[in-house]
This record gives sequence, structure tokens and C-alpha cells, in this order.
Amino acid sequence: MHLLMMSLYAAITAIVLAAIEPRTREMKSKVFHGLKIFGAFLGIGLVLSWILFPIPW
Amino acid sequence: MQISDEVSRGLGPSYPTRPTAPDVQKPYPTAIRVIAVVAAWLVPGAGHFLLGRFGRGVLFLVLIGGSFVLGLSLHGRLYAPVADPLTLFHYDLISVLWSFAQLGTGLCYILGHALGFGAAYRPGAPTYEYGNTFMFLAGLLNYLVIHDAFDIAAGRKR
Repeated sequence: MHLLMMSLYAAITAIVLAAIEPRTREMKSKVFHGLKIFGAFLGIGLVLSWILFPIPW
Repeated sequence: MQISDEVSRGLGPSYPTRPTAPDVQKPYPTAIRVIAVVAAWLVPGAGHFLLGRFGRGVLFLVLIGGSFVLGLSLHGRLYAPVADPLTLFHYDLISVLWSFAQLGTGLCYILGHALGFGAAYRPGAPTYEYGNTFMFLAGLLNYLVIHDAFDIAAGRKR
């Protein structure tokens, strides 16, 4: 459930940020930019969760 | 090495001294800019509709409106500033910040309060925090979309 929600959050954010990005105009580069944002959200989220998991608070 | 001759000197002035910027377009009148920004705040994507960016308008309406509705359906809370006379500013600052984030959705936030959706939150529900997060996301993303609509109206981007 948590991973699904995180993925949905990342997807919505990535699509909107890629759509309003001023430096990329072609659809292909926008899609690539969106995928990078999506991957960064998921990757950083997973890494942070692994780092924070042993901390008892 | 020959750098210039009669022919090249004659051609020089015919070239523009500065490259033209293809991303810049003529700005809309001030009234249109104001209307676009207000419309973009009231209904996500409406500013882009007004400026003729129909594809992006539909995209923002679906994603931001959908995120807000998803948040409500996950039992999220519609925040309003909570008075707290014991604090320095006489308001609970967290509730002010959350309200500001959700206020970005415009009519969704106003109608949500008017129709009583804000009172239907359930802090005990397992999806309560998810719901809050999606509603904050909707409002904050719409602030960026409003800014995008203003940039288009001001001729700074296409």
C-alpha cells in the first residue's frame, strides 16, 4: 500500500513537473525528464526508508 | 589568412546581430494575464485553457483535481487555520501552513469546505495521512501551474 501510494505521488508530481519544465520542448525529452523525476522520487524514497528504518523514532 | 573581403563585408549587416529566441512570444494584455492567473487558481488547468494550451490544461485538471479527490476519498482532512491564543501568532502555525498548501486548489478547497467535505475526515483511518498528503500535493502543484500560466501569458515561455 505504501509503495503504491508513493509511486502514485511520484507519478503525479513527475508528470506535472515535466509538463511545466521550460527547457525541454519536444515530447520525447519531456517524457525522459519525467521518467528521471519519477525514478529520483522512488529511488531516494527507498534509500531514505532503508536508512531511517533502524532508527528507533 | 584572409578574414574578410568586399563580399563578406557587404553581407555582414544583413545578418541579425542577436539570435532570435524561439521560446519567447508576444505577451498577452495585462487583463488576460490576470484572468488567466485567477482562473488557474480557481480551477486547475483553466489558465492554460484560456491561453490555448488545451492539452496541458486537461492534463493539469485531471492530475491535480484527481489528486484532490483521491485525498478526500482517503479520508484526508481539509484544513483551516486553527486559533491558538497561547502561541506567538495566535494561530496554530502548522494548520496555517497546511491550509495554505490546500488553498492552492482554489474552488476545490472552497467548495470542499462549503459542502462539508472538510468535516468528514477520520484521523483514525489507516489512509488518513495518505489523504492529507495527496491534498497538499494538489494545492502545491497548482501553485506551480499558476506560475506556468503566468509565464505563458507574460510571453516568457510557450
